[in-house]
Parts: sequence; structure tokens; C-alpha cells
Amino acid sequence: MASLKIKYTKTERARQKKILKVSERMLPLFEAMEKSLMATILSISEKIEEIRAAIEKNRRAVKPWLAVMGDEWVDVNEYISVNKTITHPVDVAGIRMEQFERVDFNEIAVSPDTPLWVDDALIHMREQLQLLAEIKCLEEQIKLLEEELLDVRARVKLFENRRIPNAKTAIRKIGQKLQDDERLTIATAKVVKTSAVKR
Amino acid sequence: MLNEVYLMSSLPSLSFGQTPPIAFEEFNHMAKSELSARSFKVLEQVSMRGMDGKSSKTKLKSMNKMQSGLLKDISEIRNSRTEKRQVSLALLPDTVLEVNPLDREMQIMQWQWENLDALVSGKSFTLTDVIIYKLKLQLLFRMHSFSIERGECVLDSVVNPDKKKKD
Repeated sequence: MASLKIKYTKTERARQKKILKVSERMLPLFEAMEKSLMATILSISEKIEEIRAAIEKNRRAVKPWLAVMGDEWVDVNEYISVNKTITHPVDVAGIRMEQFERVDFNEIAVSPDTPLWVDDALIHMREQLQLLAEIKCLEEQIKLLEEELLDVRARVKLFENRRIPNAKTAIRKIGQKLQDDERLTIATAKVVKTSAVKR
Repeated sequence: MLNEVYLMSSLPSLSFGQTPPIAFEEFNHMAKSELSARSFKVLEQVSMRGMDGKSSKTKLKSMNKMQSGLLKDISEIRNSRTEKRQVSLALLPDTVLEVNPLDREMQIMQWQWENLDALVSGKSFTLTDVIIYKLKLQLLFRMHSFSIERGECVLDSVVNPDKKKKD
């Protein structure tokens, strides 16, 4: 603010007024965008918490029979693995991001002599993997939204702390300088007139 | 015959649910030193894991019959799930349908154990007795592998493979 260089002209004053007008119009928009981004991040975080609760609930449901997964006769890793997570692009709070759709699994059908518990374990694992993949997608969304939020916050601060106060100061100073110049011109004219009358 | 008698008398007795009283390698070593090469070859070929109910060897016929019946029941449970219909079990008790996967596996193994007991009755100190001992020992080792810690590791290896790598 101290190093603010101002051209004390009417054109500059008009330019500063225009900057002030645009900035005052933009600021509420950026503030609204900031609020919207914060609300979206919050709602996604809540969704992540809900999914985490569902994962925990599934884990608790499996706990009574978890021991059977230690079966040395079966390597359950052979039956299921994640191929890829299918997503589709969506606009969230004006930002393009990937929305979770489903997980594509690499699966091997169980053979007739595969123990029955494997079927139940695969159902559980499929569900947990889907939920975890959804969390990963949502966390990615939050990351993008937070980057955007930082950008918007920087803009809000720029308008609040720099552009609007600077424009106001410049307008005030130019106004004062122009008024002083006008008074000086009038005073000089009066002195000239008085001395002309005396002569 | 005498060798089988000596072997069976030297082996610790087995009961369902107990911790395996003898290491598998030790059992194999004892069997190899006591049984004839031919008998040991037969013993080596028999396993609870690979039994698909199709072997035609006389000694294994009854065991395979039991195993093929079990596999049919397991198939029936699987099919009834996909077809969403009532299950009709031929050999396994209906209680296997009402319990969680761990208890169900334990009930199935108990059923196998009891059937193996039935197969050996009247054939004490024979090669069949030794074979059944091996199968029961395999069941005990399998049962012993059912542990929450191992189960958690297996579940994490599938569901959280990244976590496993970090650890």
C-alpha cells in the first residue's frame, strides 16, 4: 500500500472507479463460490464418513467368522482382485471431476471342491473393495475442490485486502489532489486578478 | 500287517478339535520307515485336499464316495443360492445352512471326521486305518489354521493390499 504509485489525473480516477466497481461486483461472487465449495467439501466428507461406517459395519459382521479366512487350504487372493475402477466425469461446484460408478474385478469362478466359505468371503470382499474404491474417488474429489478453494480464497483476499482498498485510496487521493489543484488555480487567478486591479 | 500295527500304536491318538499332536513331516517319516514302499505310495496319493470323488482305487472308493457326496451337497447349496430356492441336502445336516461360514466349515469337517471314523471301524491296524489317520491329521491341521490373526491378514491382503505393502 505504501508503494502505491498513482497518476493524479481524471482518467486515472475514472479507471480506478471502474476497477472498484468491477471488484465490488466480483467479490460477492467469489465469496459465494467459496461457500459453495466449502459446503460441497463438507458434504463429500460426510459421505466418506458414512462409507467408512458401512465398511466398519461389514467388518464387524465378518468378525465372528474371520478365522476361517486363515484356511491353509485356500488362497483367496487367487479368486479376486481389482482390475480397475470405473468412473464418469461430472461437474461438482463447477469443477470437472470423476464420479465413482463401480469396480471392475478380475474374478475366477469357484470350483466344486472350493470350500463354501470362499463364496461368502468373496461377497464380503467385493463389497469392501467397492466401498474403498468409492472413498478413494471421493478423496480425489475433495483434493481437487480444496485446490480450487485455495484459489478462490486467494482471490477473495486479493479483492478484500488489495484491489478494493487500493482503488478506494487511489480515488480519494486523486480527488484530493485534483481539488487542491483546482483551489490553487482559483487562488492564483484571484491573486493575478487582484494585482492587475491594483496596477 | 505288523508294520501297520506298530505304526498305529506309535502314533498319538487324534480327537476332533484338538491341536495336531504330531507334525505332518514326522508322521510321513514314521509311515515311510514302517510301511512297505507300495503301501507308502498309496498313502502318499491320498489327501483330503485333492479328493474329487473320482478315484477308482479300491482302498479309496469308500472315501471318495463320501467326498463326492459332500461335493454334491456343496454344489446344491451353491446352486440354491444362485437360483434362490430351497436347499435339499442329501448328506450334510440342515444345521450347516443356519450358521456362519466358520461354524459351517467346522460342521462339515466334523461330518467328514465322523464319516472317516465310520470307514475305519473294523479295520483297525490296517493300511486303511493309517490312511484315515492321515486324513484326520490333515483335517486337524486345517482346523488349526483357522485363526483370527491369519484371517485378518488374508482379508487385508485382498481388501487393503497397499496397507500390506506398507507394513
